[in-house]
Amino acid sequence: MGLSLSALAERKTLWPWLLLLPLTIYLALFFLVPLIEVGIMSVTEPRPGLGNYEKVLTGSLYRKVFINTFGTALLVTFCCLLVGYPLAYLMSTVSKRAAMGILLLITMSFWTSFLVRTYAWMVLLGNNGPVIWLMTQLGIAEPPPLLFTRFSSTLAMVHILAPYMIMNIYTVMQKIDPSLIRSAESMGAYGKSLFRHVYLPLTAPGIANGSVLVFVICLGFYVTPVLLGSPREQMAAGLIGNQIEQFLAFGLGSAMSIILLVVTLVILGIYHRRFGLDKLYG
Amino acid sequence: MNTLMRWIGIAVVIFIAAPLVIVVPMSFSTAASLQFPPPGYSWGYYQQFFSDPSWLRPAWNSIYIATMNTLLTMALVVPATFALVRHKFWGKSFANLMMMMPMAVPHIVMAVGYYSYFGELKLVHSKLGVILAHSCLSVPITFLVLSANLKGFDLTLERAARSLGATPGQVFRHITLPILKPGLAISALFAFIQSFDETVVAIFISGRNAETLPRKMFDSIREEADPVIAVISTLLFAIVFIGLLTPSLIKLVRRMTGSPQPK
Repeated sequence: MGLSLSALAERKTLWPWLLLLPLTIYLALFFLVPLIEVGIMSVTEPRPGLGNYEKVLTGSLYRKVFINTFGTALLVTFCCLLVGYPLAYLMSTVSKRAAMGILLLITMSFWTSFLVRTYAWMVLLGNNGPVIWLMTQLGIAEPPPLLFTRFSSTLAMVHILAPYMIMNIYTVMQKIDPSLIRSAESMGAYGKSLFRHVYLPLTAPGIANGSVLVFVICLGFYVTPVLLGSPREQMAAGLIGNQIEQFLAFGLGSAMSIILLVVTLVILGIYHRRFGLDKLYG
Repeated sequence: MNTLMRWIGIAVVIFIAAPLVIVVPMSFSTAASLQFPPPGYSWGYYQQFFSDPSWLRPAWNSIYIATMNTLLTMALVVPATFALVRHKFWGKSFANLMMMMPMAVPHIVMAVGYYSYFGELKLVHSKLGVILAHSCLSVPITFLVLSANLKGFDLTLERAARSLGATPGQVFRHITLPILKPGLAISALFAFIQSFDETVVAIFISGRNAETLPRKMFDSIREEADPVIAVISTLLFAIVFIGLLTPSLIKLVRRMTGSPQPK
């Protein structure tokens, strides 16, 4: 062969990178550069320095929004777990056909644009909607306003993000070996103790996957909180949008973006270290 | 414990289904606002949607942008996925991370970046700008779907063809491509949907010229809650419904007509 060994080794690395080259250049130009620009704007607009970060990290409004964002994300994650775990359990216990039906419903919900689902919650919770109507029928003379509150945005986000949780838990539950449960039962584990010592630990990876995914998506959620939430209880993404659209405060918006990004990346980074990111979306 | 969990599970099924079901009757409503149950039923809002350019234009923009996005994303991601799945090389884990990065960054952060960057490049309010942005955001999901398919590819098939004297080009055309066709189609579909659904970046950079359907829906929900949204919601939902049910329907028809089922 005409090729020397070292040339072969070189070709081995060169050829894959040649295939990767177009995408690498593309992502550098249209993904990395705009991202870096956000970082640059955060320390140069309107004047150079760390003023924006100082404002965001010490200003009471911004702190309130970040605390609110974290709180909402935690609440939504917790609710998704509360909603998702029993459903995944139901799916793994009913007949195959019924499980397929529920799976189809969840897939359908997942694939339906989240704008559509947000709009549907607007109809459901609106003043002329069925929920308020039901409340008046039940004798509640003055039902509280449901729409444009923290309640409505949280509920809609739980609905939108629940499929991520359900799918993650269900995948794990499906793989549980029934003989494991049977042997635990034969050794005297029933009801609560069976659940706590056998079922829960076995499904923990699914819970972890689903929770990280829901939490991280929720942290950066823009559309649903803006459309359904209370304007007084904004989340971080909504406030960033406000800074850019209404006040043209690129520096402040960028600084908040960078903080949001760092928090998200830290969470995903810890996750990646322990489990590997590719498993998260698989 | 078990029965309680089961009842909660059933309640959750209703919770998931209710919002999907409710938009359908709403779209046939005669009411001018969000009223449920509707006072009467008609095709009025469907007629309005299909005759109103302020709704049709965004719909076409979205289809155009999503199509272009799919072509561009596939052209970039397919070779990259081949490299990552089939080769071991220096810097591979870095390359893997690079492909996944767009998924890790919140869209609002990218929206801020594109708003300013494309402003300098004079790409704001242009379809090209939206396509370029969406292609970056479509990379991870397209890559994930395609690499899952490529990992399951039996390499002995290619080796067998090679040993029988096929050139690499012939192997690719006659063996690799036909086997990968379903995987390619599904990853292309994911790229299309990613762009068609993307809202946040589109809100900030699409402007009036390149207004996408999600942007128009967002504006409309925010400003007036136009009942036409129920029509679009129903149409979008119907597409998903048909898309998901078609495979099982085909299976059912096959079973009824008794033709053998490919496994």
